Amino acid sequence: MKKFLSIIGLILTFFIIYFLQANFFTWFHIAGVKPNLFIVLILFIGLFMGNKLGFVFGLLLGIYIDLVIGKAVGISGIMLGIVGIVGEYLDKNFSKDSRVTMILMVAGSTAIYEVGQYIFQILRWNIPIELLPFIKILLIEVIFNVVLVIILYSLIQKVGNCLEGLFKSKSVLTRYF
Amino acid sequence: MYRNKRTGMIGIIITILILILTVILSNIDIQKMSYLENALNSFVMPIQNGLTYLKNKIEGNESFFTDISKLQEENEELKRKNSELEQTLREYEIVKSENETLKEYVNLKDKYQNYQTVPAYIIQKDITNYNQTIVINVGEKDGVKVDMAVIADQGLVGHVISTTQTTAKIQTIIDTASSVSCNISTSREPIIVTGTLEKTSTLRASYIPTDATILESDKVETSGIGGIYPKGIPIGTIKEIVSTKNVTDRYAYVETAVDFKKLETVLVITKN
Repeated sequence: MKKFLSIIGLILTFFIIYFLQANFFTWFHIAGVKPNLFIVLILFIGLFMGNKLGFVFGLLLGIYIDLVIGKAVGISGIMLGIVGIVGEYLDKNFSKDSRVTMILMVAGSTAIYEVGQYIFQILRWNIPIELLPFIKILLIEVIFNVVLVIILYSLIQKVGNCLEGLFKSKSVLTRYF
Repeated sequence: MYRNKRTGMIGIIITILILILTVILSNIDIQKMSYLENALNSFVMPIQNGLTYLKNKIEGNESFFTDISKLQEENEELKRKNSELEQTLREYEIVKSENETLKEYVNLKDKYQNYQTVPAYIIQKDITNYNQTIVINVGEKDGVKVDMAVIADQGLVGHVISTTQTTAKIQTIIDTASSVSCNISTSREPIIVTGTLEKTSTLRASYIPTDATILESDKVETSGIGGIYPKGIPIGTIKEIVSTKNVTDRYAYVETAVDFKKLETVLVITKN
């Protein structure tokens, strides 16, 4: 039941982020660049919940985003799914109790997601490569995401530890015993 | 003392002689002295002629230099007048161009009247940084279909890429994956405009014909080629022309006629 409620809570969080992205961040932006909190959410799920939930959430929520606002269905799903897998991989290899590693994880995941998206767009629509504007937008987005994670770090840790206890309790035990 | 008396006497004598000579010479009829004048003239006049010639020459040059100064002043004055005339001509050209543009817009307005359009509100703009799609509040039940053109008061917005019963997704012309066949309204040269990542109000115009003459502030409008966008819908104004080593690669930046940041209402052309 708690797991179910947690998943409902995460879906609600996704919609809150969706409306923030669609409304609040169209006004609250840095040089016209919005953050991408979907990446942070899926990375969070991958890090704290594991069990391929990061990949599944990323895939489904990404497809939803593509259906609602995207030009092609699937790419956001695939890239967010990859971010979920990256989250699980990072959880196995790095400590998420450090603020610095958390920041680096978010920065890396944002870069992976956006570079993947951009490469797909170049291949799919044969758009001319605009490297400098892309890097500029990417850097601002990474900084924006990192700043938001620094602000939300305590909340992420608290909620994350609760979810980890629910979803990864067995694996934690096997790890230490 | 003696010496002083003698010197004084000589001085007095010289002065008296000069006085006498002056009186004599001043009372001589000059005509009677003409032979002497001729003799003296024969020595002096050739030199004097030469000097006079030289003097006249110099005086002539002075007038030449004076003329140059006058000419320079006149030249400056003419340049100024020419500049004023050019300015007037430019203003005239601008007025003429504006007049033509206004006529085109009037024609376009008339043309829009011929289009069957559906008004719509934008209910969502894109949530990411790399796509420029919007969602409007009309869909299939309002007669909106895929590939219909979407316009605003100022010009072209984009085209419908997908629909639901109550909404439609629009790929705007500022999206990087968008490319629109256009004409430069003055020279009628064909170009292709695509969206860029650099600015949301800027398009990149490429495939400019090598012999095409394009100027900044030229208007850009749809060519009608491609079957999605009707002909003659304003897209924007050429803001900057970027020349490259290879003339075939040159491109220009087009400032969109529509302010996409403030865009709230659009018209979907349901029937041309």
